[in-house]
Amino acid sequence: MLTRWNTGWTEFDDMFGMLNDFRRRMDRAFDDAFGADLDVPRAAGVRATWPLANLVDTGPQLVLTAELPGLSERDVRLSLNQEVLTIAGERKNDAPEGYSVHRRERADVNFTRSFTLPCRVNAERTSASVKNGILTVTLEKSADAMPRQIAVSSAS
Amino acid sequence: MSTDTRLAKTEAQPLARRDEQRRLTPPCDVYENDAEVLVVADLPGATRENLLISFERGELSLSARRELPPEQGSVVRAEFRDATFERRFAVPNGIDAAKISAELKDGVLRLHLPKSDAVKPRQIPVLAG
Repeated sequence: MLTRWNTGWTEFDDMFGMLNDFRRRMDRAFDDAFGADLDVPRAAGVRATWPLANLVDTGPQLVLTAELPGLSERDVRLSLNQEVLTIAGERKNDAPEGYSVHRRERADVNFTRSFTLPCRVNAERTSASVKNGILTVTLEKSADAMPRQIAVSSAS
Repeated sequence: MSTDTRLAKTEAQPLARRDEQRRLTPPCDVYENDAEVLVVADLPGATRENLLISFERGELSLSARRELPPEQGSVVRAEFRDATFERRFAVPNGIDAAKISAELKDGVLRLHLPKSDAVKPRQIPVLAG
């Protein structure tokens, strides 16, 4: 374990942070480029990131979607703290009783994932639903984060 | 040099096309009891209409297309997208192909492959002499 034993070593720590970040970026790049090929060994193990998520800025709203196969609305907990949205939940072992197991690739998952949103949102006007194993969270931007038109007046 | 030609070849492949045919291998569980073989697969975002299951010559293949609603706005983060989930299994003899059934709920497929009567274990009553 690395510990910071002297304030003069902060740069050293930063370097490791940077390396970690680089590794994460490389993982992502590999996933994007060879996703189909690399998915085979990964399917049997634990994914580094679960669930996978997309975030789209539609202007007045932010829409977060996440892959949650096997979970319904009641299995997902959402919380919002300033600009940090956290999704958490659990998929219990759904192995049927009285069956012998030949192959087990779908792990039991107990997850928590946080997202730093690009702007403040209105917590009261947030809605979420799960359909076909995809979670959709719609977050209304707070008034001061809304895009606005600025009229340009001519100087004359 | 051989490496040069290989580099040139990969470059010639258009990236957009690879993206279109994005294939994923869904994680699957396989269970069995006296009556059936049960396959459970994670297919987040797949719908019943885009799901294709076929059983031919002892091979079960499943293919499910996921079409996400097109995003309107700017993408801040993208980790998953439209894809085709594909998986094939060799199924042992003695499956009653006509009775295969499937259900899709919350993005999880459960595929029931009932065994034919011939291979089901049965109790043989012993008669008293």
